[in-house]
Amino acid sequence: MESLLQHLDRFSELLAVSRTTHVSTWDPATVRRALQWARYLRHIHQRFGRHGRIRMALERRLHNHWRQEGGFGRGLVPGLANFQALGRCDVLLTLRLLENRALGDAARHHLLQQLFPGPGVPDADEETLQESLASLARRRSAVHLLRFNGYRENPNLQEDSLMKTQAELLLERLQEVGKAEAEGPTRFLSSLWERLPKNNFLKVIAVALLQPPLSPRPQEELEPGIHKTHGEGSQALVHWLLGNSEVFAAFCRALPVGLLTLVTSRHPALSPVYLGLLTDWGQRLHYDLQKGIWVGTEPQDVPWEELHDRFLSLCQAPSPLKDEVLTSLETCKAQDGDFEVPGLSIWTDLLLALRSGAFRKKQILGFSPDLSSV
Amino acid sequence: MAQDSVDLSCDYQFWMQKLSVWDQASTLETQQDTCLHLAQFQEFLRKMYEALKEMDSNTVIERFPTIGQLLAKACWNPFILAYDESQKILIWCLCCLINKEPQNSGQSKLNYWIQGLLSHILSALRFDKEVALFTQGLGYAPIDYYPGLLKNMVLSLASELRENHLNGFNTQRRMAPERVASLSRVCVPLITLPDVDPLVEALLICHGHEPQEILQQEFFEAVNEAILLKKISLPVSAVVCLWLRHLPSLEKTMLHLFEKLISSERNCLRRIECFIKDSLLSQAACHPAIFRVVDEIFRCALLETDGAPEVIATIQVFTQCFVEALEKENKQLQFTLKTYFPYTSPSLATVLLQDPQGIPQGQWLQTLKHISELLRKAVEDQTHGSCRGPFESWFLFIHFGGWAEMAAEQLLMSAAEPPTAVLWLLAFYYGPCDGRQQRTQTMVQVKAVLGHLRAMCRSTTLSAKDLQTAAGQGTDTDPRAPAQQLIRHLLLNFLLWAPRGHMIARDAITLKEIRPQ
Repeated sequence: MESLLQHLDRFSELLAVSRTTHVSTWDPATVRRALQWARYLRHIHQRFGRHGRIRMALERRLHNHWRQEGGFGRGLVPGLANFQALGRCDVLLTLRLLENRALGDAARHHLLQQLFPGPGVPDADEETLQESLASLARRRSAVHLLRFNGYRENPNLQEDSLMKTQAELLLERLQEVGKAEAEGPTRFLSSLWERLPKNNFLKVIAVALLQPPLSPRPQEELEPGIHKTHGEGSQALVHWLLGNSEVFAAFCRALPVGLLTLVTSRHPALSPVYLGLLTDWGQRLHYDLQKGIWVGTEPQDVPWEELHDRFLSLCQAPSPLKDEVLTSLETCKAQDGDFEVPGLSIWTDLLLALRSGAFRKKQILGFSPDLSSV
Repeated sequence: MAQDSVDLSCDYQFWMQKLSVWDQASTLETQQDTCLHLAQFQEFLRKMYEALKEMDSNTVIERFPTIGQLLAKACWNPFILAYDESQKILIWCLCCLINKEPQNSGQSKLNYWIQGLLSHILSALRFDKEVALFTQGLGYAPIDYYPGLLKNMVLSLASELRENHLNGFNTQRRMAPERVASLSRVCVPLITLPDVDPLVEALLICHGHEPQEILQQEFFEAVNEAILLKKISLPVSAVVCLWLRHLPSLEKTMLHLFEKLISSERNCLRRIECFIKDSLLSQAACHPAIFRVVDEIFRCALLETDGAPEVIATIQVFTQCFVEALEKENKQLQFTLKTYFPYTSPSLATVLLQDPQGIPQGQWLQTLKHISELLRKAVEDQTHGSCRGPFESWFLFIHFGGWAEMAAEQLLMSAAEPPTAVLWLLAFYYGPCDGRQQRTQTMVQVKAVLGHLRAMCRSTTLSAKDLQTAAGQGTDTDPRAPAQQLIRHLLLNFLLWAPRGHMIARDAITLKEIRPQ
């Protein structure tokens, strides 16, 4: 067992090196050995896929590596992050080497010879590396063809295939990190927030929170009882959002209103915080007597229309969210003095607008007295 | 070998030209043309590889100076990369060009350039920068997420097609016909990739609301070809849609069936059944339009071969499979019998469609007499509405082999005198074109043989010779004459059912009467 773990360690190092210029020192013999190691590990994956203890031991070792390299807070994910990756370690290695310009001519030539020996007797039990690579190339073209000849971005983000795929990957990663370390997901997400384009990231989070629970995937060799669900990943996301008010505010502002309502319905833990935000935003607006509308003081303040649209969307959600929202509005209105006349409390006006269904400024203006003529 | 290399040079020129025209296959015409030539181009690549692998990289450049260009153009055509094994063979060819020890900067540059092409084939697309950054940020390599991305795209497109099919009048959600046509073209190289099956199925089943056919011809052909070669597995409903929308596919499948039957040495009924069920023809025939086309092809085959027994056997097995499929599919008949058998009376069709095995032996005679009556009426009644005459009635009758079997058994085993109606039935079965007089003569002849056979049933000693005597004289009679065929049938039945028949079976089989060839 110990030798197996050491082997794993050495291969992880090898994989890390394969991306660097250090490979310029590699000769054909080194390449051959590297491929042999990869093949051995792939064999291990096949052999011990169902063997719970060994699988867990290997995975624990890999997670240790991850933690040692700076942990989940640094956000760098090693090439081998889990047991599943072992099943593809040869492809991972070869692709890194192929893309590395620093690899010498002789070594490269040898590598290609090993990878693509040409037509011949296929390996009886396992798919050869050649077949894996050819199949990857074919799937890549398939994605290309579909992308440019039929794909259209779906206006419902949660159904868009690109978004869904990213969301699935995020949830998978989070679950893994969660297995490795209890606080892992939070630190990991924070590091991602620092590094990745924020707009896309927020959208992916929303889509991830709307994914249905998964059923166990048949092609993976899982021990009975270990089911991959999206549950843990979602929980990690909610927990992180609730713990990061700045992120949550950005989350709420960046997403389409309807999508946000769906997310809040699905994850009730978010609704008090969302409503709190809306309340804050609302309180920043004041009534402009001259113009007869509610305005903000600063340019980044959320305007009346947006606030109204958000509340409208929330009121169209199913109970209990809808009830919660209305209760919240009523409470705010009461706290402000429980006015019925428009123009004094934003909460009154919102409720009026929502109830009458007249959400155009003009109609509200029609109710307010024109004091300038007095 | 010299001839091969000349051929290769000619082909090379041809393909170089084609690839230049196709470029990246971004227009309708280039896509269609590429699809038409995918298989041939792959063959060419294979031949190229066989030639290249014998040479070292310098010789390759000497012999085919523009080979790099040709391979590069192929690499940039996504239809070619997506087809079958073309991407693999392209990689092999490219590897042949790599110089192990580059002597000068020119060779180094070539190596570098080929590396770039290989990267292009194998690495991720940079189409969506944000997606690429995101997946990288999570530590995923393309091999990790491409299968998932492909699956999501396929399912999303399939569900869009389905929605388009169901919500015809909601114009907001409509899929433009050009987009659907484009999808069908794109599927042509991908047909044998299992990930794409849901999309292929959706394209076949969801036909939207345009009055004319949107999908490309090449798509239908490619799907049918893949089905025949067993490279794709689709549900029967999708295959039915394929055949309804593209008649040549159905015809091709029938021809393929005939080819299989003709080319295999001896076809026992079990094997015929396997072939037919495999081809999905009997299941698809539950749809009357398909049944009619298949039946028409069988009709032609029968007429062309002058009623060859092999064709009749195939028709009978097909009909049996068809009836089985029909029972499994609808609990109550969705279509009336007239849609399947328009040229004969519904009462005749209903009677014949019954399962002979389901009828208790006591009622056999009654049923057979009834069938005989109906047929006789249809055949001899000249003023009948259907102008197709006795042939259609006979054609319908021979679909169901069980009745002739039952009739033969009845004649042999029953104690009473052979009823005229049953004799007529069998005489008609074997000789539909006979005139009234001819048929009566056949019936008389057969009655005589029957008499002998029934006597032999009761005797304790039997020999093959006895059988021969019973069959009667006639070394110069045509073995294909209706009477002879019928007698042969009865003799075989005798061997099977008579109490001591199986004892003389071996000797009897060699008799001329049983085996006319």
